[in-house]
Amino acid sequence: MEEQKPPAARKSRLIVRLGSFLVSHSAFVSVICCVAGCIALLLLPVLAKNTYVSENALMPGSANPMFSNQDVLEANRFVKDIYEKRILKDGSGMEIARLIGKHMEDVGAEVYFHKFKYHNLRFHPLCFFSSTPRTAVLQNSSACTLNGVSPVGIIRAPRGDGKESFVLVTPYNSENIKWNEALSLGLAYSVFSLLSRVVWLAKDIVWLAADSRYGEYTSVASWLKDYHNPIFSSDSGKIGIDMCFEKTENHVEDESSFDGAAYDDFKRAGTMAAALVVKVMDKERSERDRVDIYAEASNGQMPNLDLINIVHYLAVHRQGLHVRVGTFGFLINSVLLKHVGKTLQRLTRLAESLNPGWKLGVNSADFVEGTATLASSMYYQALGVPTGPHGAFRDFQIDAITMELSPRTSLTNDNGISSFLLRGGRLIEGVIRSVNNLLEKFHQSFFLYFLTAPNKFVSVGVYMIAFALLVAPLPIVAAALFSSTANARSLTAISNSKPTNSKPVTRSGSWNWLHSAKLVFLVHLWAVIVSLLPYFISQVPHTNSTTSMLSWSLSSLLILYLLTRVTKSYIEGYQWEVLKSVMIAAASIGLSLMSIINFSTAQVGSMLLVPMCLMVRPLKQPIQVSFFLAALLKILNILLAVVAFPPASLAILKGCLRGFESINIGDFWEWSEFLWAWNSATYLFVALVHLPCWYLCVHILLHN
Amino acid sequence: MASMTQRLKPSWRNHPIASHLLIFHLVMASTLLPSLTSAIPSFSSTMHNNNWAVLVCTSRFWFNYRHMANTLSLYRTVKRLGIPDERIILMLADDMACNSRNTYPAQVFNNENHQLNLYGDNVEVDYRGYEVTVENLLRVLTGRHESAVPRSKRLLSDEGSHILLYMTGHGGDEFLKFQDSEELQSHDLADAVKQMKEKHRFKELLIMVDTCQAATLFSQLHSPGALAIGSSKKGENSYSHHLDSDIGVSVVDRFTFYTLAFFEKLNMYSNASLGSLFHSYNPNLLMSTAFYRMDLYQRPLDEVPVTNFFGSVMKTIHTDSPYRVVSSQPKVKESIFLGDDKVKEIDKRNIKEKRCSFHLWMEFLQKKLVENDDSDIIVMYGFGSMILLLIVSTLLSA
Repeated sequence: MEEQKPPAARKSRLIVRLGSFLVSHSAFVSVICCVAGCIALLLLPVLAKNTYVSENALMPGSANPMFSNQDVLEANRFVKDIYEKRILKDGSGMEIARLIGKHMEDVGAEVYFHKFKYHNLRFHPLCFFSSTPRTAVLQNSSACTLNGVSPVGIIRAPRGDGKESFVLVTPYNSENIKWNEALSLGLAYSVFSLLSRVVWLAKDIVWLAADSRYGEYTSVASWLKDYHNPIFSSDSGKIGIDMCFEKTENHVEDESSFDGAAYDDFKRAGTMAAALVVKVMDKERSERDRVDIYAEASNGQMPNLDLINIVHYLAVHRQGLHVRVGTFGFLINSVLLKHVGKTLQRLTRLAESLNPGWKLGVNSADFVEGTATLASSMYYQALGVPTGPHGAFRDFQIDAITMELSPRTSLTNDNGISSFLLRGGRLIEGVIRSVNNLLEKFHQSFFLYFLTAPNKFVSVGVYMIAFALLVAPLPIVAAALFSSTANARSLTAISNSKPTNSKPVTRSGSWNWLHSAKLVFLVHLWAVIVSLLPYFISQVPHTNSTTSMLSWSLSSLLILYLLTRVTKSYIEGYQWEVLKSVMIAAASIGLSLMSIINFSTAQVGSMLLVPMCLMVRPLKQPIQVSFFLAALLKILNILLAVVAFPPASLAILKGCLRGFESINIGDFWEWSEFLWAWNSATYLFVALVHLPCWYLCVHILLHN
Repeated sequence: MASMTQRLKPSWRNHPIASHLLIFHLVMASTLLPSLTSAIPSFSSTMHNNNWAVLVCTSRFWFNYRHMANTLSLYRTVKRLGIPDERIILMLADDMACNSRNTYPAQVFNNENHQLNLYGDNVEVDYRGYEVTVENLLRVLTGRHESAVPRSKRLLSDEGSHILLYMTGHGGDEFLKFQDSEELQSHDLADAVKQMKEKHRFKELLIMVDTCQAATLFSQLHSPGALAIGSSKKGENSYSHHLDSDIGVSVVDRFTFYTLAFFEKLNMYSNASLGSLFHSYNPNLLMSTAFYRMDLYQRPLDEVPVTNFFGSVMKTIHTDSPYRVVSSQPKVKESIFLGDDKVKEIDKRNIKEKRCSFHLWMEFLQKKLVENDDSDIIVMYGFGSMILLLIVSTLLSA
């Protein structure tokens, strides 16, 4: 075989020769690629670039803000009005909605009340990747208390074409309104009333005061769904908003009459160019007012980077606010990271002393902070669950972010709040004016990126290198394993022409891998069934997470046992090398597919999956290396098999973050419930790619 | 005036009746006129006798407000300096005045002090919106229009015209972007200028361009009489001058701003030369280097007044009587009527208006008729004169 190969290789094309070279050195290549991939991932904070406003039309901050102290006074008055209504409330929370509606109308806006039915998030196996969570329509829900009611006001652009709009969302809990929610309503109202007076609007402004008694996301999502799916049937009008108001009017007989029917029509205002969710929060005090930006939507989708850029630019350079994005605080204090940062700093200094032209300028503190932010960005994208109500917009391809404004003083400090409202109002006005200048959808800047700071990002072209390096060894190793077993088999077939083997016919053909493929397929089938089990378990009433988890795992094991029993005769006679090769092929396909759906999930998953897949070999199989290396390989194999088991990895992660005493059996159930409730594709990845791969690895480990 | 006579000339030559009266006419006309026919061609080829301006704003969209403001400012300046609206082709790719984002509806300003509304009552936009294309610009320059295009949208220049071509927008190396969808390349421009030259559509042409890398747009020009000035050299950007924080956009570009600043000091009678305009650009203020291309231009720039291009002021030719050329023309016609006496009733009205020897004779007869009572003598005189006329006319027509 070896003598025949060189002439054939010389004739073949370069790419084939290169491929066969890589395959023949698969172990070396895979070690190099994995190490390089991990280093590339670690270096991402260093490779981050500064953000810049890419779209010319936006021109943030080019106009002077018109939001003045007069508007702040108006906001304060409104906040006090709303807070007083809190005492008057009769349980339905309708008074505040009505007050907001009245104020909206007073500034000349078109007003209606959007009512929505609360639906519990349920597991729907076929609901992944769909735009909105499927609503479980409640029957005979005529009582208003079952519905949330969100007042919506629309300002038509005086000289605009009415084809585009900008949405401002302020969630508030109508049943138990807090001072900070009242403040966010007041802030939105003052901006709204200012916008009703300006002449420069080219897009309509929609203010949705989202009733968040059933969650902020629910109300925004249901409003968006109704906005984009007009209902023409008559039954939608059966439960008019007037019914709810009639009930309240019996209690409060101050206003003459309130024609609810007029506020029942769902009014629309063109396609949404962008949306801004504004919340006022009471966070820890700092020397400056602060803005927290949340951008992650479902399945790791991000709004266009330009939207974050303009908010950051206006907040920092115009209003002097402190901008923050999500960060993992525990990573900032990590000693290991600090060491890595210092080493990098030293290395870059050395490089700069060698060639002054290289301006790498790595700062240890920046590196640690960048890593913590990057980790948070990657984690929330990988989780696939939106970090706020803005996620509902992204499902309709609308760019949206949540801004959490928090003052430097306490919320009750009048002076502090006034200056805070002034800055906040000017920031919102500036963002709206900038988006108002937009001519098309946001398209200039990035959609695929990680943030390492509010003004630093890693674009897709950079961060995919790490993933590509990690995944690259998989097909190479699969090919190497397959070809080595094929060679060995043909050699044995030549050496003893009449083998004692019981099944010479099946072994001789190149279709040998089919036996392994059957097993792999069986395991994947099992994984599909396991992933569907929660649908049935969640139907069972009166269960807590622990019992659900137990029943889930027990039924999974039962099904596995039954499957192996039923198909025992089919899946015999495979070699572990071929099985590993097929498993690796399946895993690489799964990872590559996942990287298209949610890159971060694939990236995080590959960090566990790839080393496990590459290293796995039967524990009982002797290996021709030094004793130390063999022992190390065995230990690593066992360690990875434990760590990569999804519930175990979750428990370890939770233990690291919150202490090991908080670990509970039901954690994994809760976590997966959380994932499927939000239609996160991460659940599918864990169930359909990660779990079968892990099982097959354990199968190979225990192979004899 | 010269062009008018020039246009009449062919029709007069081909007149069927007049052909046999040539000698008579020449005798009559040569005594009264300087030799007109020989004077006309040499006169118009050497003299600058009219001014045209083609002002083009090539970019759309709100954030390109300044390009429209640039063009309108130039429009205002050339109008102020005397080019009439009918000789200005104004091309605006977008209507900023009516943009819904405009804080000052129906007004356009080029300065944040908002003193001067450039979009007043007397703005005639010839090409607007999506009409501003490379094709239309080239058609305007070369004069190849479809027959339906009105005269007001055509550049009706001739070989005595001085044309100002001002363009602003976004450009790059050897191109100028039109409307985000197409571009005018330097060789397109050079080709158009060459065609114009061949068709005698200009005497002198000043191309003024305010874009990034404007100088590259002139690199292919090689038609004599073309003078070019651009806001920046190759590899340089042209920057906006300032931002109007009320309107929220930049309102004017630096090159145009300093051009306008130069012209604001001038009026129609100023003698400032093109050289002084070209030297007024300060690279530090422009943040780019203004580029001139004058190798195709014959006259020294210091002797050419800016009003030669930016205004409509030209050299005055002294003549003895104010309407000499006009008054001489009917005289030629009248000499025809003199011979064609038999059909004089038809053109009686025309003849009445004129004063000539025959008129005087008629008047004299009429006067005699009114004053004196021995009308028989007058009738006899009249008959005598008619017979005389008859004899003369038959002799001539034979």
